[in-house]
Formats: sequence, C-alpha cells, structure tokens
Amino acid sequence: MNLMANILLNVLIAFLIGSLLLGLYRKVVARVQTRPGPPIIQYLLHLLKFYIKESSFTKTAAMPFYLGIASIMMVIWITAVIVGPVVQGSLLIIFAVYALHKIVEHNAGSSSGSPYGKLSCVRAVYSAAAEVPLFSVLVIIYLKTGSMGIADIINYQAVHGPLLYSIPLAAAMFFVLIVSKAQYTPFSITKGKDIVSGYETEHYGLLRGYLMISESIMWYMLLWVFLTVFLGALGPLWLLIGMVVMTVGIAFISATSPLLNPNHSVVLQIIFAAIGIIGSILLMNVI
Amino acid sequence: MNKMSIISSIVLIISVVSIIYALIFNPADWVIYGISIVFIPLGVLSFGLIIMAKAREEEKEDRRKEPFIGY
Repeated sequence: MNLMANILLNVLIAFLIGSLLLGLYRKVVARVQTRPGPPIIQYLLHLLKFYIKESSFTKTAAMPFYLGIASIMMVIWITAVIVGPVVQGSLLIIFAVYALHKIVEHNAGSSSGSPYGKLSCVRAVYSAAAEVPLFSVLVIIYLKTGSMGIADIINYQAVHGPLLYSIPLAAAMFFVLIVSKAQYTPFSITKGKDIVSGYETEHYGLLRGYLMISESIMWYMLLWVFLTVFLGALGPLWLLIGMVVMTVGIAFISATSPLLNPNHSVVLQIIFAAIGIIGSILLMNVI
Repeated sequence: MNKMSIISSIVLIISVVSIIYALIFNPADWVIYGISIVFIPLGVLSFGLIIMAKAREEEKEDRRKEPFIGY
C-alpha cells in the first residue's frame, strides 16, 4: 500500500477506535457506579460537537502558543502511529512521545492563564517523576530481547512466546502508566476533578475537540503498544478484543478507586516502579 | 473574511495539496513522514477554524459588553 495512504488509514482507525473505546470507558464507569451512563458513541459525538462549536480565546492566553500546543499534541500522537503500526520502528521514539505528552500537559496548562490550568501544569511537572516505570520497562525489554525495535520484539515473541509471561512485572509497570493516562483514575492527577478539566480547562470549543481527537489517538496507541510489546503481533480482531478488555479493566479501576492526591499518586507509582524493577531483574535471573 | 479565516484557508489548501501530492506521487519516505506529521494536524486545525460556528456581526458587540455572571 502507498505509504501516505497507510498512514492516513492508520490515523483514521486510531481516531475512530480510540474514541469509541473512550466512550466504552465512560459507559463502564457509569454502569459500575449504577448509573445508566452515556451511549458508547457519546465521546465521538461530544468531540464533533466541540469541533464545530463557536470558540473564543481567553484574554490571558499566551498566543500563538495556546493554539500551537494543541497542534503539538496531535503531532506527537500521529508520530506514534507512524512509528508504531505503520513502520514498527523504535520503542525509544514511543518513549519520546510519552515524554513530549507530559510537556504538552505542562504547556497547555500554563499557556491558558487559567489557575486550574496552571495547577495542572505544576502537577504535570511533579508527576514526571512517575515516568520512572516507563524508563524501567524499556530497559527490561532491552535486556530481555536485545533490541528496542518493535519489529524485533515481535519476532522475538514469535520464537520465545509473549513477553507478558517472561517479564510480567514490566507489563504491570506499563499497565500502571496506561492507568495514569486514563481519566479519573488514582494516578491521573493532571486532570483530577478538583482542578475542573486540568490543563484543558481553558481549551474549549474547537480546541477542546481538537485535543479530544488527539486523546482518542493516544488511547488507541497506548493500548496498541502494550498489546504488541507484551503479547506479540495480533490480528485485527484479537487486537480489538485486547483493547476492549483493557479499557473495561481500567474503567473498573477508575470506577472503584479513589482519586489520590498528587503526593500519594507519585509515591505509589514510584513504589510500583521499584517493585517492578527489582522483581523483573530477579525474575530474569531465575527464569 | 477576517485574518484568521484567511490564514486557515491558506493552511488548509497547502495541507490538502501536500497530502494529495504524497498520495499520488509517492515521494521519498522522509518527505511523506514530514507531510504526515506537519500537515495532518495543521489541516485538521485549520479545517476546524474555518467550519466552527461564528457570532453574527450584530451579536459581537453585545457579547463583548455582557457582564460576566458566571460566579
């Protein structure tokens, strides 16, 4: 297939499936809390409504940064789609995308001039310490497979079986990272309910719709990377089943667990990382 | 048309032309990556800026003068 067509197709799939999964996420959270909840397609409808809504830009916004940062979020997640499903390149670039996402959270919050955004911006910096698990996951995967390339990791699993069985603690650490990116989980402190919508508070109308498009691509990519790196190459149906199962699981966590304050959230993630790193190294020496 | 609509229209045209160029002429991979990373987000943003609802001329002044009663 033509490379450009391949990229466009993958971005479209990531957007559509990601937005439906986020709709499913909200539905499951609501059902667990014995509320009827919105229809699964609601996230997509919401996004489209925002996208065509009249927008105004706050006087306190730092232009053109305020607009540019929303574009950067889409740039980084389209890069992730290219590096992931399209060319199966290096995990290091995916890691860079996660790091840049943290910078987007930080700068989107600070560029708006809103006190809620600024608080979210501070939390984004603070929670960068919680990215330790991601560093560790990459190191452990490299030690196990001898490569950072997604294609090499898939080939390794075709011969030796899924990495989920051989380095389960690394998978658990990565799972915690995904949980931290989901809404209203104990670790999603940058978008906690106590600061309205966090760094997105002053991005409304078109810009909110634009950010929501990027977030649906982000959700798809987070799940895609987890499933591909820890279970190997999956067909479209199994990939979709895996994504649905993971989304439902994280929605259960979100619905049944409290929102932690930033201190507890970061410390807990660092404890997870410490257990994951030491445990994985011990396991690699035993197995 | 205001300044933002004109800039958005130009950016959208450039984005669409670049993507079509990459689809038809299949240039080097690095060119396609560049076009995808830069022009897909810019195209989506500029399209949104063009199609988003806008206040009517007679409403603009009223909206600016309306006191904020949100709190």
